[in-house]
Amino acid sequence: MNMRALTDGAREGTAIAVPSTPVPPAVTLPPRRRGKPRGKPRVSLLGLAMLAPSLLLLCAFFFAPAIFTGVFAFTNMSTSTGIGKGDWMVTPVLLRQLRDAGLSEADEQAISAATYVVDAEHVARAEAGGVDARFLSDIESRLAGETYDNARDFERDLRDLPSKPRSARALKGAADHFASSVLNRRYATEAAFAAALSTVAPGLAPETLSLVTERAYTGAVFTVENFVTLATRRDTLRIVGNTFLYVGLTLGFNVAIGLFLALSTFYLPKRVGSVFSALWLLPRITPVVLYATLWQWFTWENGFIYILADTLGLPTYNYMKAGVTSAWTIMILSNGFVGASFGMILFSGALRAIPVQQLWASEVDGASRLQQIRRIILPQLRWPVLFVTAYQTLSLLSSYELIWLTTDGGPGTTTTVWALDAFKTALWAYSGEFKYGLGAAMALILVVVGLTLSIAYLILFKFDDLVSRPKIEF
Amino acid sequence: MQHSSMTRNFSMIPVLAVLGLVTLPLVVMYAFLVIDSFSNAPATSLIPSEFTLEHWRFLYDFSLVGNVWIATKNSLILAFTMVVTTLVLSSTGGYAMSRLNLPFRRFFLASVLVMHAFPAVTLLIGTFLVLNFTGLYNSMIGVILVKGTLMLPFGIWIMKGFYDAVPWEIEMAGVQDGASRFTVWRRLVLPQVKPGLVALGVFAFLDGWGEYLLPRILAPGADFEVLSVFLQDAAIPDAADYNFNIFKSVGIFYTLPVLILFVVFQNRLMNIFGGGTKG
Repeated sequence: MNMRALTDGAREGTAIAVPSTPVPPAVTLPPRRRGKPRGKPRVSLLGLAMLAPSLLLLCAFFFAPAIFTGVFAFTNMSTSTGIGKGDWMVTPVLLRQLRDAGLSEADEQAISAATYVVDAEHVARAEAGGVDARFLSDIESRLAGETYDNARDFERDLRDLPSKPRSARALKGAADHFASSVLNRRYATEAAFAAALSTVAPGLAPETLSLVTERAYTGAVFTVENFVTLATRRDTLRIVGNTFLYVGLTLGFNVAIGLFLALSTFYLPKRVGSVFSALWLLPRITPVVLYATLWQWFTWENGFIYILADTLGLPTYNYMKAGVTSAWTIMILSNGFVGASFGMILFSGALRAIPVQQLWASEVDGASRLQQIRRIILPQLRWPVLFVTAYQTLSLLSSYELIWLTTDGGPGTTTTVWALDAFKTALWAYSGEFKYGLGAAMALILVVVGLTLSIAYLILFKFDDLVSRPKIEF
Repeated sequence: MQHSSMTRNFSMIPVLAVLGLVTLPLVVMYAFLVIDSFSNAPATSLIPSEFTLEHWRFLYDFSLVGNVWIATKNSLILAFTMVVTTLVLSSTGGYAMSRLNLPFRRFFLASVLVMHAFPAVTLLIGTFLVLNFTGLYNSMIGVILVKGTLMLPFGIWIMKGFYDAVPWEIEMAGVQDGASRFTVWRRLVLPQVKPGLVALGVFAFLDGWGEYLLPRILAPGADFEVLSVFLQDAAIPDAADYNFNIFKSVGIFYTLPVLILFVVFQNRLMNIFGGGTKG
């Protein structure tokens, strides 16, 4: 970052204001009253300069992706349409499709026919293509302005020229340079394509022309097809079900184990408690790739559980990849072991904030630890529990990295959740066909849910308390 | 701690037993991570039969899994750029948010908070498209910019919290002595939030060091292989000569810096993990 620019901005912004404005000492400032602004404070240029780089980056790599997700959700963009702008091209495959869609045979032949035109443009093309210069000048002088609608006639005329090439292949090659056909040729603009098409097939009806032009576009087009697909395909319901089950079960595990960890380490002697806390923090700080592979080692063939089960005579198989129940268990536990420490940290903090006198008093009154937990501690942990639930619902809904690295949504699609499916549709398809549009549509639904939930949480957890106005205003 | 002075009207043994049981998978995984990287065991047994250092050959024998040092260098570059961008942008942006008068300040703050809570991973497809359109796809710069940006809402919010805790009197004094707001920030306020900078810096390093998804998806070219991608590629158990033990040694090599940083900065990081980024 450019610190010099910042300094300059700072001098400019404050030099006028500082000496002349008396600053009231902080103690005498009245508390902020809602609805009664204290005049209009001057905008800090330094503040804008300090914030500008962050804003710029956030616009480019946070807002823009969000908007792109929204826009491209309504396109059919995929690897076959390409990411940039498309071209216009008629291929034999497209012609066959158009025939099926009702294109007449005469129109089809007109479109696919090649015509041979001798004009300046084609002569230049032949010259660039390496046709013998003498032969070319013969063509130009004798046949200029001629048009042929089949190769045979044109080649016959060429053979009559004095400087014709000796081999038939060279002659055919020269003739090819004069062919004008729309088949398999890319046109960069719609106008160029339409012009070429009406030259080749002048008899096309306007509506046929516009139909062919529309279908010939190879780039992405706007459509609501993605959402129709999502609403009608069979997998959707299953994946939504998977997602809710996954979020619900993992969340339950996280909160329950988080609470249990926080409470037990709270009551255990400090040294023992901190050993367990540290152990449970390991999954959180371990890089995700290593953590995922530890689970693989734990559950794959010849891994820990496999060998253990083998020794005990229990059924052995690849627990992560081959069994639905075991894959689900692994998915929830592997995510839960990471998430539980989040609850543990927050709950431990909240526990330490409970006035210890309350606990002492209950001990004096003969309360057992369970009664203490139920009557004193749990009621005071209501907000942390709510916060953890809220925060983790959102992150579990959208997280897929660990699932991708462990069960990969399998066996089949039994452990595929919405976020993983969106990701794999757009960016990690085994078929090699990446459906960016469909993936974006799936992601868009997550984005909308995420945005709604995060705004709801802000309101729930009292945003106003977090935002007070600055006390020095120049 | 206070509870040691409490009466023992509840036995700790069942609690310890349950706690131990729940923790067992973790203990097993991490214990064998270390044990297996230094030993060999017979094919269908868990108990090692000999001590060996052969699984650490990958450090100099690049025929095993590739050149680990190039990946290490790339990971270091990614992690350190993350530290620098996060610290510079968050310390300035956080100060502006905390202390300076901006138009739409409430809106900015609300946006930062929403972005912090918002699951940015859902934007990956959009990010991929943005990088493709700007020509930054498959480049180190692209990954750094994206990763750095995703870190910003969190960094700005954390730094704002640290700035909020600095007494106003310090700035008042500086301003009344005639210093500009920028000087006050650099000379008086910044030293006050040093603990926050250290914690955020370490956090940014760990975050960059552990990142897998962005380099894998946004820069799949081999020129910029970071350790996480290197490790994942080394860990394809379908390969015929696959060896979990070598993989575990690479894993330890990869995780060691994380563990060291964590042990050294444990207390400072704990505050930040409370606002954690992983589910």
